[in-house]
Amino acid sequence: MQVSRDLQQELVLLRASFEQPAMQFPEIWLRDNCQCPKCYMQQTRSRLPHGWNYLNTAVQVQQLSWCVAQQALHIEWNDGHQSSYTYSWLKERDFSPANRARYLRDFYRPEPRHWSGKQFALIQREFQYQELLSSDEVLLEWLHHLAVYGVALIKQAPLEADVLRKLCNRVGFMRRTTYGDEWSVRAQPGASNYAYLAAPLPLHTDMPYFEYKPGVTLLHTLEQSDSPGGWNLLSDAFHVADLLRQRHPRAFQVLCETPVDWADIGNDKELSFHNIWREPVINLDANGQYKRINHSIPQRDSHFSVAAGQVRPWYEAMALFIQLANAEACTFKTTPGDVLTFDNLRMVHGRTGYDDTDRNVRHIVGAFVDWDIAFSRWRVLRHAQGYCK
Amino acid sequence: MWPQRVQRALGQVAPSLVRRLSARIVDELYIEVKPREAAKPALTFPGIWLRDNCRCASCFHESSQSRRLDWDNFDASVRPLALHVDANSQQLHVRWSDAHESSYKLDWLQRRSFAGDKQQEYLNEFYRPRPSHWAGKQFDSIAQRFHYDQVMSEDAALQQWLQALAIYGVALLSGAPLDEGVVRRLAERVGFIRRTTYGEEFIVQAKPGAQNYAYLSLPLPLHTDLPYYEYKPSVNILHCVVQTKSQGGSNLLVDAFHIADRLKREHPADFELLSSIDVDWNDIGSEDGREFHNIWRAPVICLDASGEYTRINHSVPQRDSHFNAPLEKVLPWYKAYARFVSMAQKDAHSFKTQPGDVLTFNNLRLLHGRTGYDDSEDNSRYIVGAYLDWDIIYSRLRVLKKRLNVAN
Repeated sequence: MQVSRDLQQELVLLRASFEQPAMQFPEIWLRDNCQCPKCYMQQTRSRLPHGWNYLNTAVQVQQLSWCVAQQALHIEWNDGHQSSYTYSWLKERDFSPANRARYLRDFYRPEPRHWSGKQFALIQREFQYQELLSSDEVLLEWLHHLAVYGVALIKQAPLEADVLRKLCNRVGFMRRTTYGDEWSVRAQPGASNYAYLAAPLPLHTDMPYFEYKPGVTLLHTLEQSDSPGGWNLLSDAFHVADLLRQRHPRAFQVLCETPVDWADIGNDKELSFHNIWREPVINLDANGQYKRINHSIPQRDSHFSVAAGQVRPWYEAMALFIQLANAEACTFKTTPGDVLTFDNLRMVHGRTGYDDTDRNVRHIVGAFVDWDIAFSRWRVLRHAQGYCK
Repeated sequence: MWPQRVQRALGQVAPSLVRRLSARIVDELYIEVKPREAAKPALTFPGIWLRDNCRCASCFHESSQSRRLDWDNFDASVRPLALHVDANSQQLHVRWSDAHESSYKLDWLQRRSFAGDKQQEYLNEFYRPRPSHWAGKQFDSIAQRFHYDQVMSEDAALQQWLQALAIYGVALLSGAPLDEGVVRRLAERVGFIRRTTYGEEFIVQAKPGAQNYAYLSLPLPLHTDLPYYEYKPSVNILHCVVQTKSQGGSNLLVDAFHIADRLKREHPADFELLSSIDVDWNDIGSEDGREFHNIWRAPVICLDASGEYTRINHSVPQRDSHFNAPLEKVLPWYKAYARFVSMAQKDAHSFKTQPGDVLTFNNLRLLHGRTGYDDSEDNSRYIVGAYLDWDIIYSRLRVLKKRLNVAN
């Protein structure tokens, strides 16, 4: 192992052989991440914060050495402190763009793959409920598939009330909302939520009116309508946004930039609520990656807090988006014992209308899990497979 | 101080204004509603928005208060053809190019004015109040105290507490009983507790061998809680049940939005780095036998598209040793961050809650910490905590504003 310093950039370089590029580490970062018991607490697996009361950003390496026996880098600092870092720990944290990309993809969050409606049969996967409960491998496969494709179907769940709770507890815990933990979707005349009617339910995301919009929707079919209706509709809105960007770039931009007032006013049991969240339909992060799609016709407020001149272009763009989403939707009909799971920040879902009578009912129970919790479980399972050290 | 402003934001219309209205179509696409008095400005509404928000039973579902218009067949080129204003019923009637007819109550229209100042008023008074930033030495003038019993029993006190919390990011309650159910009762008065990896309520007391740094009696430097969540818990509720008699155990609080303001003014390059470089925040461990590995990547200072602060992230123990930043940005970022932390430390306000106090603060905005204390059997400290999310708090605040507005 060859160790050296880049004095100008204040880096420590580590080279295993001449063929390989050197691993690069900023000196200040090494000092900040010293692993000795005075700087790092093994028990809480975290940096001890006191050093930060007087962090000297001018700290420099005084002496560097490589210990063959320990396979570790030793540093003596000009503040009198000494640190040592093992090879495997350093390798995992190398600042090269390739290594950083690997870490993000393999361990932070997997990259989503977008799909069109006609590809649904290729990307859709089924998981067995009992296997999900008993096997960590299957649990990981399900979470991974959900993260990459945004949808997965669980089969053979019993027709019992605790199915979603068991599934959510397997991941972590349920996400509670103003509608409680679990909610029932069946026709309720006079319902305070539009989904609780038998009318067709156009494509939408759930709860766009929350800043913390629930991450994953789980829908357990207990009874399915025998009428010709009650079909599930599902469309990958990231793919729809891709199409919009290609075909109608101006409309894409309008939907990325125009904040929309999403709202839900009503009550569930004793709790009255008036939820509002203002955000565009298509939301990108600082790198231009999709973060979240908002769409729900009933839950779009009649208040529209933008300049009057922005209104018509937004409507025209939205009409294009909805046409594309409808054209790209796949349809299927879940049967009792199915649990449909999908990414609610990405998929738009809906159902065709059905004929609700005493002998022709449809009963779905729903719940949510947040991505923070789902990704945490995914990482714990990935870690067990050696993905991050 | 509230009702009148809320009333304005919600747009109560003076009857004299309503009775003398006229309406006309402008540029084929807009509808202008105009009072006869020259002093009153005209209200202009985009026609397509009016069509989308038709209030008739086939377009709007009254009991769920939501739009049911068939958007799969929505005509984005729809235009108003004819208008009629009915002064007696105070309604605007519109006939559309898609053969539909709509009616709108004038006060409903007024509340949805597209005038910039009216929209801003609605957003500030009803959507989310604008925060006021403060320096540590101003703490005593901005920190309001409320009585626990009043907050639990009176809607007006509940509203005042939540409003103070929204604007200043901190508020104190006094006179709470010393039982462990206080934080739950308080959270349920607003809505419900936000659950995290650590459960619903949590107890902060010295626990040797703790997996989380906060559960030790060492000093706890300034930080925000759970920066490693995309959905970071919004508001901390910390109920002091037992306070240590030792010198330590004081609370530290600082308004990080104020620190960010100063950084932006005094060291703009540092502000730019701290608001653009993603940091890996993490928490690895287990709770109740269940392992977790949380990571969220976000800058220290998070801004929305219009440059407003959305959130501050800071926690030295919960910053990952993985740092996914471009190599050349690392040293400048450290220098900027050290400056931010040192400015925050100098500005921190210190005080000590007493048994029966409930400290509530905005965890997306304030940094908090505590000084170390001497933990022994007859010198302990016992705090029960829980979180609430802003989605739920703002919802309660809006419901209260409407309710109290009607009552007035």
